Amino acid sequence: MDLFLQTLVSGLLKGGLYAVIGIGMTLIMGVMGIINLAHGQMMMVSMYITYSLFAYAGVDPYVSLIVSVPAIFALGLFIQQRLLNPLMRADTILPENQVLMTVGVGMVLTETMRFIFTSDYKSVRTAYSSSTFFLGNISFSVPLTIDFLIAILLTAALFMFLIKTDLGRSVRATAQDKEAAVLMGVDSERITYITFGIGSALVAAAGTLLIPVFYLYPDIGGPFTRKAFVICILGGLGSAVGAIFGGVTLGLAEAFGATYAGMEFEDIIGLTIFLLVLLFLPGGFKRLTKV
Amino acid sequence: MTTMGKGTIAQISALAALAVIPLAVHNDYYLHLMILALMWVVIGSAWNLLAGYTGQVSFGDAAFFGTGAYTAGLLVIHWGWSAWWGLLFGGIMAVAIAFPFGWICFRLRGAYFALATLALNEVLRHVATIWESFTQGMVGVMIMQTYISKLPYYYIALALAASSIIIIRLVLRSRLGYYFLSIREDQDAAESLGVNTHFYKMVSLAVAAWLTGVAGALYMNYMGFIDPHVVFSLHDISIMAILVGIVGGVGTTYGPAVGAFIMVLMQEMFRTAGFGYIKAAAKFTDVPFLISASEQLTKGHALGFGILVVLVIRYMPNGVVGDWGKLMTALRLRKAGTTK
Amino acid sequence: MNKTAAILSLALFFAAPFAPSGASAGEPVKVGVVLPLTGTEANFGEIEKLSFELALEEINAKGGVKGSPISIIFEDDGSKPDVGRSAIEKLIRQDGVAIVGGGYSSSVTAAMAGVAVNNAFPLVINTGSADNITEPWSYTVSGQMATKKKKAMTEETDAVKKEALKKESDELTAKAEQEAATIMPRYAIFRINPPASEYAGGVESLLSDVIKPKTAALLHENSAFGTSSATDVEKRLAKLGIKILIKESYDKASIDFKPVLSKIKAANPDIVYMVSYVNDAALLMNQSMELRLNPKMFIGGGAGFTMPEFQKNAGKASEKVLSATLWYQTLKYPGAKEYYDRFLKKYNRDTEYHGAEAYSAMYVIADALKRAKSLSKEDITKALSETDMMTVFGQVKFVAYGKKANQNKGEAYVVQWIKGELEIVWPKKYATRDIVFPVDWVKERQ
Repeated sequence: MDLFLQTLVSGLLKGGLYAVIGIGMTLIMGVMGIINLAHGQMMMVSMYITYSLFAYAGVDPYVSLIVSVPAIFALGLFIQQRLLNPLMRADTILPENQVLMTVGVGMVLTETMRFIFTSDYKSVRTAYSSSTFFLGNISFSVPLTIDFLIAILLTAALFMFLIKTDLGRSVRATAQDKEAAVLMGVDSERITYITFGIGSALVAAAGTLLIPVFYLYPDIGGPFTRKAFVICILGGLGSAVGAIFGGVTLGLAEAFGATYAGMEFEDIIGLTIFLLVLLFLPGGFKRLTKV
Repeated sequence: MTTMGKGTIAQISALAALAVIPLAVHNDYYLHLMILALMWVVIGSAWNLLAGYTGQVSFGDAAFFGTGAYTAGLLVIHWGWSAWWGLLFGGIMAVAIAFPFGWICFRLRGAYFALATLALNEVLRHVATIWESFTQGMVGVMIMQTYISKLPYYYIALALAASSIIIIRLVLRSRLGYYFLSIREDQDAAESLGVNTHFYKMVSLAVAAWLTGVAGALYMNYMGFIDPHVVFSLHDISIMAILVGIVGGVGTTYGPAVGAFIMVLMQEMFRTAGFGYIKAAAKFTDVPFLISASEQLTKGHALGFGILVVLVIRYMPNGVVGDWGKLMTALRLRKAGTTK
Repeated sequence: MNKTAAILSLALFFAAPFAPSGASAGEPVKVGVVLPLTGTEANFGEIEKLSFELALEEINAKGGVKGSPISIIFEDDGSKPDVGRSAIEKLIRQDGVAIVGGGYSSSVTAAMAGVAVNNAFPLVINTGSADNITEPWSYTVSGQMATKKKKAMTEETDAVKKEALKKESDELTAKAEQEAATIMPRYAIFRINPPASEYAGGVESLLSDVIKPKTAALLHENSAFGTSSATDVEKRLAKLGIKILIKESYDKASIDFKPVLSKIKAANPDIVYMVSYVNDAALLMNQSMELRLNPKMFIGGGAGFTMPEFQKNAGKASEKVLSATLWYQTLKYPGAKEYYDRFLKKYNRDTEYHGAEAYSAMYVIADALKRAKSLSKEDITKALSETDMMTVFGQVKFVAYGKKANQNKGEAYVVQWIKGELEIVWPKKYATRDIVFPVDWVKERQ
């Protein structure tokens, strides 16, 4: 029983972080319909910012959220405005150029970090990095639990934004039907880059939250991008709630898969779920909810 | 299309030039690069058939490449056959994989399709890694090359590259070509006109998979060593195939061929900081800036390459061949505004 | 300007690979070294490059090779086998080096070795550890198949089938020996570091003499190195009669090991053996601590557990952990400690066994170049095969044993983190401290 509960806890806590990573991407995919294959790399850049602040100025990761999130927001704005939007206007045979641009951007981000920081593994060890508290026999990692709570806060904030503010409503409108939104007076181009910024800012937060318990090197982005789109597909594109479900589901699936099938199957489980959902539940969890 | 005379002469002379190069140039390093470039001509053209002409942008072509490579390698270590049989069976196995691949992916469109191909690519990579008893996992498959000289490999690669372009041209000239284009332009309209889009998409995929699988088998024979990480690589194979197609020119016959040469030579040029020219120039002119420049270039070669990719996609989204006019205008080799 | 410029640059482009490498007559002796200078393994590649350069400086200061200095041409393999191939091709053809060294990752080294064998070119490997690289049989088709049949034969229970398999494997072996006869004249691969299967040598005697566990859990990262090490460890544990309760592999980039560690905790093995790199090692130990997993002993195989970063990142969780290693600066080999100190002083960073391997490789190469009658590859190969010298890494002598040829027999040691310092605790004759065992983990993690 202990093993089951411990696995459950592991999966849930990891899932919270995954959810934050996924929400960012699902927002982008829902509003713009493009796959951002540089998503994980944005997270990586945020982690390097956090690392630098910690290593050179002693700033605690949770505090550095104030810096890393806006920084990556700005980076996202820039990328969307300067590199991606122009492509939407260009006359090409394939609309997939935008996706490829994100691949190029991802490469540049990775290599720039490698150039500056080298491939050396970096880590941020804080006093609480390995702290745990126990409920009975089950161990809870303190930083991951805090991350989980922050994830909830961020999601709530995002909901407030989407539902209560004008800008948020414009974002949702554009996600639902871009042409209708434009007819209603929404500046869809501006919305696209703000959305890209927000999506990136969210994954930046996830990175900052993750770094006390993981480590950092330039190539860390790829696996997270892959997890992000598994989560998006699970939850349904554009659905924040869906991303939460998706993140938690993926976290649990990986944890239980690792325990009961074996760790070598961890990635394949995620991929299989992904394919199954693509095939049999297109639209993801969103279909089952309204948001 | 282009007039018979000019176009065919150019093509034949290009082929002749390529055929003669190894006899004139006795430089194995150079031949190595050319063999790689020719291999990418095959892979890029195959991808282009599916994406540029049929509108199905696959992010998972490494699935076929790896299947072809492993078929060739496993024939050797499990049954003792020569790896050259892989050129035949690699293609066949890749087509076999293409069936479930298409079945899963073709019911999806656009972004979903791309993601599904990516996922399948990753699944195959993981399977190759985990199924150690069959594929030897991450230890990989090592075989000895049949020839020590590079010449045979060069000519085989050249033959494959030429045949793949010929095959693709034939396919495009036939009825199939029309169906592919109609699917690319508007799949629903085509379907409503009675075109069995699923069938033709599968045909396009099968041809692309077959060519890519054969390229993979060639890779196994030539390199002598493969492992899941290398031949099922998302970045180095699947995305490289896309880049080759895009840089060269999607939806053009020779675009991928041009793209293949550009990408291979560019990558190596960045990696060696101008093939050692900059360093040599530095030694010759004794300018320290050049030495440090060449060192920085080597250190950041991947970065330089990435920046190049971003710039090409941003400013030349139709590739070198597709945006030839734009390129010539920019280089001031042609007055702006003239048509092709 | 324009059209001519375009044509000129295009011509330059296609003529590019013929570029001079900056060498002319009466030059230093050129040595090529292929290492991962960019990419995921650049960290170790850098340490090895710096070690090569440190040794080079010293050797050239003492007169180089018969009065001529040695110069190294470094090529980056980016941790990719095909780039490694391009690199060694370029070194042999384009740059005309006398000998090639390096080889960090097993897969890249294997690809390079293939080229070397094709060209009968001397290659001195200092880190790539997959066993088959120095097994000439692996370069022959029949040899690989014979190995498979033999393995199947030992696992076969039916007597008739077993007999058939034996016959097949004998035939293949004979064929392989014939094929090997064609390979051997071109086989000039030499390896300084022990193969992956020997890394755990020191641990084995430690287990049988001191720790005496009955059960074990085995966890390894799934690259070529982790997989071949784990296969070997499995064999050794089986030989000692230790039952493996859980054996699992994981991807290097895994974040969360708690599920598998919880599983291990539930199974309660006597020892937990892990083959990992630095970061997964730190995560594994930290998460084990978080779960209060307390076996009799934690043993690490593989680079991860002996790096200073491991101790920094795992902190308390690294204390008293044992690890197999190939070298440590406190070993009494002449120059070992000096090498470590000089490296630290010059480059302001730590070095470890990879650096020592590279450093001694440079000395081995220089030594062979000095003894070689000429700079032809045949003479250099002969000189290499006659190597018998002491280096900071230990005695280097290339011998044939078992399936191996031109393999140096290195030692394997066991170290333990004691009060934040790495001490050699086994074999007794090299030990700088006694091993701490048994360990009260609860007290350690306070």
